[in-house]
Amino acid sequence: MTPTVPDLLLGNFLCLIDPPPPEAMGEFMVGRVAVTGMISLLAAQEAERGIDARLWENSAIRAVLSRSAIDYGERFREASRKHDENFNLSALDAANAKLRRELITLHEMAENKGDTKLYKEIIALYVKMAEARRLDLPPLPGS
Amino acid sequence: MSLADQLQTYLTRIWDQPVTVRDLSRIPGGASRETYRFDADVGGETKGLILRRDPPGSLIDTDRRLEFMAYRSFFGRGVPVPEAAALEEQGAELERPFFIMGRIDGGKAASPFTVIPYGEHAQALGEQFFSILGTISGTDPTGLPITEVAPAPLPDECWRRELDYWEGVIDADEQHPQPIVRAAIRRLRREPPAPAQAVRIVHGDYRSGNFLHDEKGQVIAILDWEMAHLGDPLEDLGWAIDPLWAHFEAEKGRVGGMIDRAEAIAIWERTSGLKADPAALAWWELFNAVKGMGIWISAAKEYRDGGFKDPVLGISGWYTARRHDQIIARRLAQLEGLA
Repeated sequence: MTPTVPDLLLGNFLCLIDPPPPEAMGEFMVGRVAVTGMISLLAAQEAERGIDARLWENSAIRAVLSRSAIDYGERFREASRKHDENFNLSALDAANAKLRRELITLHEMAENKGDTKLYKEIIALYVKMAEARRLDLPPLPGS
Repeated sequence: MSLADQLQTYLTRIWDQPVTVRDLSRIPGGASRETYRFDADVGGETKGLILRRDPPGSLIDTDRRLEFMAYRSFFGRGVPVPEAAALEEQGAELERPFFIMGRIDGGKAASPFTVIPYGEHAQALGEQFFSILGTISGTDPTGLPITEVAPAPLPDECWRRELDYWEGVIDADEQHPQPIVRAAIRRLRREPPAPAQAVRIVHGDYRSGNFLHDEKGQVIAILDWEMAHLGDPLEDLGWAIDPLWAHFEAEKGRVGGMIDRAEAIAIWERTSGLKADPAALAWWELFNAVKGMGIWISAAKEYRDGGFKDPVLGISGWYTARRHDQIIARRLAQLEGLA
């Protein structure tokens, strides 16, 4: 998923460092500071949970790919063979991008083949993937 | 030359008399256009106006003429919108394309990140919100200004045209593979909806947060028509009831953080004269979550390309994208009987 936490925290710095034109000094700047604050708040969650979420997702996708190799081809076993060794965000995201591409292909193949069991298994995985990456925004007061 | 000076020069030229621009102030939100409020003194009178100018980078790539014509289509026709005043597609003195419209003062818009944004007025505002949407959906667009610029699809083409467009946006702007939205797109294509019962003006972003209310229970303006087009009116209904806009009340079944879902749909049916076929509406609900992902994926790319300087693009491409991933995944699971 993009943007990454480093992108966002860099962005928070960059969007506040330039002096704004006079017409953007009031309400607009208050709003901008509020959004950067919200990004920082969510970035704290991502710093805490983001590595775990990626490690879990990569592992879960590899498991599905590996199990499906018998019916859908050795390419999926090949794609599932590696393990995550570098735990920084960019390395995990790069591995995740490759795995997600294979998962998309596998899901499409299952659909075309009418393989309802695998199709639904992957849908259930999507629910868990989205849940693992969720960001919890605390309810903010209305006014 | 400051923006206020540029604006003053422009208005003096087009109104052919001296104009003084005062209190120019940018308004937060609305990442698709820069929005400013200002007063213009002309001929002994003060006009309260809004400037909508194209930004260097944008949340969504939209045609300002469409937005301008949408305001013109509904001004004075039972939908509370400001009067569109001037459009400059080449930018004129302001260097980037813009339009100017009347200002409706005394209103407040809700942020999608707030809880209970409408307080004791939620029910009254919800009833008006879906009633006004019914008026929009029920209006025959024949002869209205927007038809000069918006092509009318055939009823059975509406779904495909929108899905093709938003899939194209995702194809062009996706920076990380998105298996959940891809699965949704394939499902939408496998099981298309019934043809539109009527081709109507679709606001395109009709949701809580895109209207002004007077904090006493009255909706006073429907804004942000930049994605207006002609299409299936169920598209707007599906977007308005998307859980993303529910202000933390989606689990309670209160759409837009205002009223019960079934009541909202009943009001829309009554005021539009149209039917919300459950299967067709389910298609448009899933489609709208895909459309949302298109917007957020595009925002993420724009954020990167623009040097990470607009935090609204950043949070849209991140937090809201993940929310819609959750919404789509749950909906796909429900459709498969998994949830």
